[in-house]
Amino acid sequence: MDIRFTDCAVRFGERVALQPLTLTLNEKRIGIIGLNGSGKTTFARLINGLVKPSTGSVTVNGLDTVKDDRAVLSEAGFIFQNPQHQLIMPVVAEDIAFGLKNRGLSRDEIDRRMQAALSRFGIEHLARRRVHELSGGETQLVAMASVVVTDPKILILDEPTNQLDLKNRRRVAGAIDDLPEDTVVITHDLALVENVERLLLFHEGRLAFDGNPQGAIHRYHEIAGC
Amino acid sequence: MLTSLHIEGNSLLHRLSVRAKLIALVASSIGLFLSGSLAVQAIAFVIAAALYLSVGLSPKEALKRVGFVFLTIFFLAAVNLFYLSVAEVATLTLRLMALVTFAAAVTATTTISAFMDEITILLLPLERLGWLKAADVSLALGLVLRFVPDIFARYQAIREAHRARGLPVRPLTIIGPLIILTLKDADTIAAAIDTRGFRRQ
Repeated sequence: MDIRFTDCAVRFGERVALQPLTLTLNEKRIGIIGLNGSGKTTFARLINGLVKPSTGSVTVNGLDTVKDDRAVLSEAGFIFQNPQHQLIMPVVAEDIAFGLKNRGLSRDEIDRRMQAALSRFGIEHLARRRVHELSGGETQLVAMASVVVTDPKILILDEPTNQLDLKNRRRVAGAIDDLPEDTVVITHDLALVENVERLLLFHEGRLAFDGNPQGAIHRYHEIAGC
Repeated sequence: MLTSLHIEGNSLLHRLSVRAKLIALVASSIGLFLSGSLAVQAIAFVIAAALYLSVGLSPKEALKRVGFVFLTIFFLAAVNLFYLSVAEVATLTLRLMALVTFAAAVTATTTISAFMDEITILLLPLERLGWLKAADVSLALGLVLRFVPDIFARYQAIREAHRARGLPVRPLTIIGPLIILTLKDADTIAAAIDTRGFRRQ
């Protein structure tokens, strides 16, 4: 991945959500941690243009998130904190096919890609299940399948193990480890990011640490006072 | 509701195209309302019931799905008995029951995705006139059906929260937070639709 933040800041009204920031991300596995309200989700949402910079710019693989916003959405898939919100269709198979609609693909091609996405996460058996009947872990895996089916190069996962039990957490963490796409993982689950190539720590809208996981986690404990 | 009523199967109605089923539903609605014959309504109801029972539902489940609507129709019939003859009430009742049963059969054999695709195709002439965007209308319809269970679950959560705090459960105190939370969710859902590329082209 090649994500560049150039003097990028975000304000929501009077509140500064992210202080001016300049950095480049080009590792395959990146983690983001920080206390609640520290600016980490705002930072992640800048990457696929869900949040626009108030000043400065963000480019993703050479595409500007403001000028080329539609193309950036194709480049960077986003998996939301509550994956139920991103499952649009009532049945799993229909939901995974949803992102492929309006692309001029034949029905056979849509079916082929949908099946491939299901089998990639080992959830073929969920194809006919209703999305509101899925468990937390199943919902997260379906949400991931529904995003990767559109072939994004970068995946941004916002607290993917939030509210999962130990078994489902392990399953989802394994699926994230196996993703061939470049990933940016925002999490409070430190075990999930202890092996990433680069870990960013946000605090009060600023980048408080940028480097190896051990250093970032140590600094995080200092900030959290525990 | 299509969200939870579609069932897998290979019945005649499952094999028919969505368009054929919708046309048949509209045509039979018009036909039954134009006819005042009790016999025609009775035959229509028998055919609709046979089709409905052929889709693979157990009689109990089939009745459960239309039971509430039938009760409403019977209530309407009871009220009408004060104003109309028994034959007229029977005609009216059988007409509504036939249509509800046929609609339930169509619902049970049509996925929401197929329904949305058909609505999109049917609305394309209006899109060409520049009046609307067909895919957006069908998406809106699909979203309503998809999120009804979520809204209902949220309603129950708010009701339980009231009870847990010892507050009286009144519709007016529940509707406010329900609307606010639903609108908040709607923002995320809209963002998700964009990120998943539905309106990318």
